[in-house]
Amino acid sequence: MSPENNGALRETVWEIHDYIRENLYLNRPDIEVKGVRFNAALLMSILTGLCQGKELIIGEPGLGKTTSAEYVCSLLYGFPLGTIWGSEVAGHPEQTEEKIIGRPDLGRLNQGEEVVVWSHFALLPVKIVDEINRLPETKQSMILDGVDRGNWEYLNDAIINREYCLFATANYQDRGTHTIIAPLIDRFDVMVESKHPGANLAYLIGSAGSDGRALRHEELEAAFQKVLGERLPYQVRMERIEELCAEFRWALAQDHGIRTLSRDERKAFRVQKAQIPFDLDFNAFLRLVLSELSFCHRFGQKRSLERCEEGCHFTGYLCNHLQNCISNRFPMSVRGFSQALAWLLGDQAVGLEHLKALLPFTLAHRLRWNEETVAQREREPRQDPLEIYMAKQGVEEMHRRYMEQGPQIKEALAVASRIMEGEPLEPIMGDHPIYWEIQRDLGKEGLER
Amino acid sequence: MRNPFLDFRSVPIRKKEIPLDRIVRAKQAIMDRIIEGYLALVEEEVKGLVWLVGQSHEVRTYNAALRSIQGLQYDQDDVEELCAELDSAKKVPYLISGPAGIYLSALINQAREERILLRLQDFERTFHFLGYRLPQGKTLILRGNVGDFIGASLAGGRLVVEGSAGNWCGAGMTGGEILVTGLTGQKTGEWMRGGRIQVDGRIWGVGQNRYGGEIYHRGRPIAPLGAVDQSQSEDDDGPG
Repeated sequence: MSPENNGALRETVWEIHDYIRENLYLNRPDIEVKGVRFNAALLMSILTGLCQGKELIIGEPGLGKTTSAEYVCSLLYGFPLGTIWGSEVAGHPEQTEEKIIGRPDLGRLNQGEEVVVWSHFALLPVKIVDEINRLPETKQSMILDGVDRGNWEYLNDAIINREYCLFATANYQDRGTHTIIAPLIDRFDVMVESKHPGANLAYLIGSAGSDGRALRHEELEAAFQKVLGERLPYQVRMERIEELCAEFRWALAQDHGIRTLSRDERKAFRVQKAQIPFDLDFNAFLRLVLSELSFCHRFGQKRSLERCEEGCHFTGYLCNHLQNCISNRFPMSVRGFSQALAWLLGDQAVGLEHLKALLPFTLAHRLRWNEETVAQREREPRQDPLEIYMAKQGVEEMHRRYMEQGPQIKEALAVASRIMEGEPLEPIMGDHPIYWEIQRDLGKEGLER
Repeated sequence: MRNPFLDFRSVPIRKKEIPLDRIVRAKQAIMDRIIEGYLALVEEEVKGLVWLVGQSHEVRTYNAALRSIQGLQYDQDDVEELCAELDSAKKVPYLISGPAGIYLSALINQAREERILLRLQDFERTFHFLGYRLPQGKTLILRGNVGDFIGASLAGGRLVVEGSAGNWCGAGMTGGEILVTGLTGQKTGEWMRGGRIQVDGRIWGVGQNRYGGEIYHRGRPIAPLGAVDQSQSEDDDGPG
């Protein structure tokens, strides 16, 4: 795609962002990246939609968790709101695989045929699970594979979503909620809070133009419903769906002047995004973060069932305040989302600022802090829910260390590269876990004997 | 294993230097020059690997040593380190006692410090000729036993031996003071022209050819009065 088209695509995404911000999801900006102020919930939802990501939106009831996701899905993927509503899965204890994924075609079953009627949730590329933490732990496992790979199985049939994004909302703990199981929560790329917008913006919500009526199209919604219910092969149905999406996009542009993205444009975005290189500071800082979140001097790595020894030399690093080990999904999330953010801002490379902005949201749900650290932090004044606040504090700490040691860490990595290629150099040592990780990769024993 | 650091391959590696490295390197450069000077001296003076006291050898060697250390910035630690190098013979392939001692003396006499302490007690080798031509205003303290010709041609300086000295201690000295807390060997003060030698331990023999100066044994003057308690020295003709 030419640079002009590249710019036009970005312009369209900005228009979508601005339209939602000004008309549909009224909220305050709460983060700033390279001089641009965003509302984190809206930004993360846009990035999730673009990256085919998975987002967990938390917050008090009625503060726009689900509706913000619906608006983003509608405008990035070109579905009328009614179609999206029809595909949503609501979390509740009585939820079943048949309601979430698919069920047998009873008519055909009576004739001895095993044919699956896939749910709209499984079929559509935009997936919203409302109140996911009302699903009991055992039922959460049902959606693990689908959430992770877009791979939905029922009876002896399966469909694989080529393109999809997933939004799940969760209320704060009450009597009806359950803990989201660790393997499921780790599959979310980001977690964000949909905050109260403040009294003045809240006053405007529901007034003319802010109710999302423009995104409704009853005629097309009926057409979508019809296609989704047809007994056609999955790919054929998806082509028909895309045609209807194009009709909806055209109607939106004609009636309301709202531009949206086509499937090809989303694909073009992904190609452009993948071409944005990571600079060395991004690279080195992410390695530093990974080392602090996975390193254990005593036991080789962090493990949920092992506790830090008192008097450990590495007390000053995050590893000493955490119970679990960061997963391999984390760097994948953070790389993809950082590239998307750099693309949105029109930057030529993905750098430290993109990474630093996204880290708290990619980490908040993945870190299990130890009790002492939580007790120490929970009463501190803050603007975010505890998990996000603690992640932000942790990121600040790690960023400070990187600012102090960045050049030396990059040099240590450079020396390590040359050692690996056979140059007779001595690895650079330092106190930070990253140096110990380098030692281990170079085959030198990191543990004291 | 795949190289996980490849992205950083192009990052230039700075030659890191901490202040200690710089100091060590500077010290090493000085030591290299000192040793180089010594080897050049040995090369020049001892072509046949024979070096005899007398026949103006020591004077010529001393002058050559002064020339080779000209302009060199060093301190007493460097002198002591040279003693260690000479003792261990790691960097110095051969040690010849006379030139080595005279070279050390030249370094001591030209050093910035007025007071120099050499801790020799732990070395295996015995050093000779230390304190050769020690000038006025300098104090040299030798801790440990030392060899022959200690304080030879002493020229006004103060030499303290915290241990014992060998034969010919203070030979040909013209002024200054030698204090020996241990004993001295034969011909102590031979060819002495001035100054004072004070020995707290035994004196194995006083030189018979003396032209001035004083020798004290445990505070009592024994020369030029001529009374030597311990033994009568042999009437050697002198070195050479």
